[in-house]
Amino acid sequence: MNPSIKLLLLFIIALEISFSLIISLNIALVILAIGYLLLHHTKCRTIGWLLIVPLLPAIGLWSTQYINGTGNKTLMAWVLFTRIYAFVFTGATFTLTTNILQLADSLEQNWHLPSKFAYGVLAAYNLVPKIQHEVKIIRAAGLMRGQQLSFWSPKLYFKAILVSINWSQNLAQAMTSHGFVEDAPRTHYRHCPLRWQDWAIFIVGLGLIQLGLFVIPWS
Amino acid sequence: MANIALENLTYTYPEAQAPTLNQIQFTFKAHQFTLLTGPSGTGKSTLLKLMTGLLKLPANQGCIRYNDQPLTTIAATERAGKVALMFQNPNQQFAMDTVENELIFALENRQVPANEIQAKLTAALAFVGISELRERNLSHLSGGEKQKVALAVIVAMDSDVILLDEPFASVDPAARASLLKRLIQLRDQAGKTIILADHDLTDYETLVDQVVRITPDRHLTAVPHADWSTLFADFARTGQTDQRWRLPNQPAKPLFQLQKVALTQGRHRLLQPTDLTLLRHHNTLITGPNGSGKSTLFESLVRLTDYDGQISYLTDDIQTLRRKRYARQVALLFQDAETQFLNITVAEELAQSQKYAYGDYFTPARITAAMQQLNLTGHEDQVIYTLSEGQKKKLQILLMLIMQSPVLLMDEPLKGLDLKSVQALVTLLKSTIAETHQSLIIISHQLTGLAPLIDYHLRFEQQHLQYREAL
Amino acid sequence: MKWAKAWQLSDIILIALIGIFFGAIFMGTNYVYDVLTAALAPVGLSGLANELLLGLWCMPGMLAGYMLRLKGSATLGELLAATVEMFFGGQWGISTLISGVTQGFGAELGYIVTRYKHYDWLGLTASALTTTIVTFGWDLARNGYFKLQLWLLILYFVVRFCSMFLFGGVLTRLITDMLDRSHVLKSTHTN
Repeated sequence: MNPSIKLLLLFIIALEISFSLIISLNIALVILAIGYLLLHHTKCRTIGWLLIVPLLPAIGLWSTQYINGTGNKTLMAWVLFTRIYAFVFTGATFTLTTNILQLADSLEQNWHLPSKFAYGVLAAYNLVPKIQHEVKIIRAAGLMRGQQLSFWSPKLYFKAILVSINWSQNLAQAMTSHGFVEDAPRTHYRHCPLRWQDWAIFIVGLGLIQLGLFVIPWS
Repeated sequence: MANIALENLTYTYPEAQAPTLNQIQFTFKAHQFTLLTGPSGTGKSTLLKLMTGLLKLPANQGCIRYNDQPLTTIAATERAGKVALMFQNPNQQFAMDTVENELIFALENRQVPANEIQAKLTAALAFVGISELRERNLSHLSGGEKQKVALAVIVAMDSDVILLDEPFASVDPAARASLLKRLIQLRDQAGKTIILADHDLTDYETLVDQVVRITPDRHLTAVPHADWSTLFADFARTGQTDQRWRLPNQPAKPLFQLQKVALTQGRHRLLQPTDLTLLRHHNTLITGPNGSGKSTLFESLVRLTDYDGQISYLTDDIQTLRRKRYARQVALLFQDAETQFLNITVAEELAQSQKYAYGDYFTPARITAAMQQLNLTGHEDQVIYTLSEGQKKKLQILLMLIMQSPVLLMDEPLKGLDLKSVQALVTLLKSTIAETHQSLIIISHQLTGLAPLIDYHLRFEQQHLQYREAL
Repeated sequence: MKWAKAWQLSDIILIALIGIFFGAIFMGTNYVYDVLTAALAPVGLSGLANELLLGLWCMPGMLAGYMLRLKGSATLGELLAATVEMFFGGQWGISTLISGVTQGFGAELGYIVTRYKHYDWLGLTASALTTTIVTFGWDLARNGYFKLQLWLLILYFVVRFCSMFLFGGVLTRLITDMLDRSHVLKSTHTN
């Protein structure tokens, strides 16, 4: 499915369930999402991990409502508990089946996002491993000078920004040297089509979620 | 194809006092391979970036012409077809994740029709001899492989003029030889114009058509062919020394003990499983070609990178030591001076080192004397980031000496320094460690002045790390 | 997309990099969040963990707005950070993106109401306040805050504002002061 249409659909779903109080709908979304993930050969281990990771925040939300809520506390507690899982699993149907390059291609080709945004972010994204290493280096350099740099130390962020400034200039120059010109036309080797099927799935999906929200008498 | 004329070129960085390039008047002939040389920090990079249009030349500061056409009038979209630059640092050279995607990105930028991209990409990879790297992730490649990809991109874009800025700084000798061979082919078979900046002159004598030097007063001058042999012979001597070092005789006091330590970079093996002891209260020099893994060895000694096997410091496995305590014992002088800085002004940095110093050898009087010795006096209130590269390096070394950690690992401490600074630094190092008894482990290509400081010599080459008596 | 014209490639890469760097640093605070959440869950106050640390996660937007001084930089800074986070190990999926938009817009609003003229304590405080209000409004729905008892709502709001002000305001100011003193931004930005 076209990545940006998929993202838009899931974005709307996430927005709508943020305002809904239907537990069964949340659970139905989780089940649908797991089915979709299994169809796309997601490992059971990954699904298990997705079940465990949100557990702590889900319990936190649950207990907050259960203890300090108003009105039907139990209902609200379970709404929020299941909502978190609905967020995580519907989100995973996107992030586990689409990569950032596909999204960038789609935004550039289907929605005319200026290529400097698509490729600027991609260039930064591809440095993620280097960035994690650099944070370790900054911290080690601090310790070697006797200073512990914690997440509240301005110096830690200052150093990170200095490196970012440096790298952003190097990357921009390298991209320019590889022929990239801001706002100039480019050709596209990976074709990212936006077909009527994508719109059909989008409309059907949107329709189904409205049914779930407003028509089906769940309880 | 293109002659490149530099007319009255002057360039001054916004924050700088003196021009980096001064009234340069020069013409590079088409289809030639030019070696551009001169000490580090004399404006080679600046010149190449100006010639590529990456740095904008202010109006009335001269002109750069490609075959009589001023660079400024060449449309931005046409420039990459005219001239491309390969950078020194292979790490921030790519926008995409894989080799294939980077080439596609470049070809799309050049507006090559989608149905022609496949063929050009395949041909470029084959030409450089890296077809097997096609689907590999760029971040898993070695320095040499990355530069080969960078060349493949330039080949695919079919740029007339190829500029290279110290391209072999992290490239192993085999990859360097292979890259040089391709450049010669590009000149001879495709008529490309090549200008390569390097301060290391090894191997160029028989390959290049022209040697051009940036002089201390920031002009360009061609070195007459008659002077080449002296130039290259002089350079060959800087990396040589007749010094002999003894081999360590066991048992001695161990500092680090490596047990079956192996190093890798991506899929690339850097060091075969090795057992080795480094000695306490002695200074050890590590030499070896670019890209052999010397810096990675240092990173593993300070736990910044993963390794196989076990490394012990004195008696403990370093993985069992608390990071904070260990960092006070074993410090690393990073190759890039800015990595070491934490503050804004020189005085603040000095104060920080003094505050947390491990020993009290560096009294205020000794620091003042050292600043004098290193010609840094008067810069106390200056912002570090506005110092010259040489001044940053000297300050960095002084800061780490003041810390007096029992062990100091120094990664290319003399790189880019002039002879006077090197002598001043070595003098300071000698007098300091005579009192503080620190153990130094030094990676250095440059040996001038340094050799007498060294007790033992380790050679890191072709995945092996061994003690040697001579270079 | 007229506003997009003002952005240069290196600006975009810069704020994306800053977002990722900050994200990499914040990852180290996850244990604080986990411990606090677990400790406070039995008394039904685990939301405090989120309130205390939220200022950190809103910092990239507030800092980008303050540092780059371009219209939209706060929103874009936070949005880019969220996009990258969504793909990189972020298990929160699309809701990361929605949070990114609300946080970024919240920060932007502070600079909008001060007409992009107050790059001082007034602008920062305004930004901290608008970020608190916008994100809190969103959490009324998403995290079911509208059903909580009033005293708890007030407590959460106050704690959230303090977090925004400390991390997004004070810490941002300390960081940008260092940047100003070091002269590194002058060579890249003229405004």
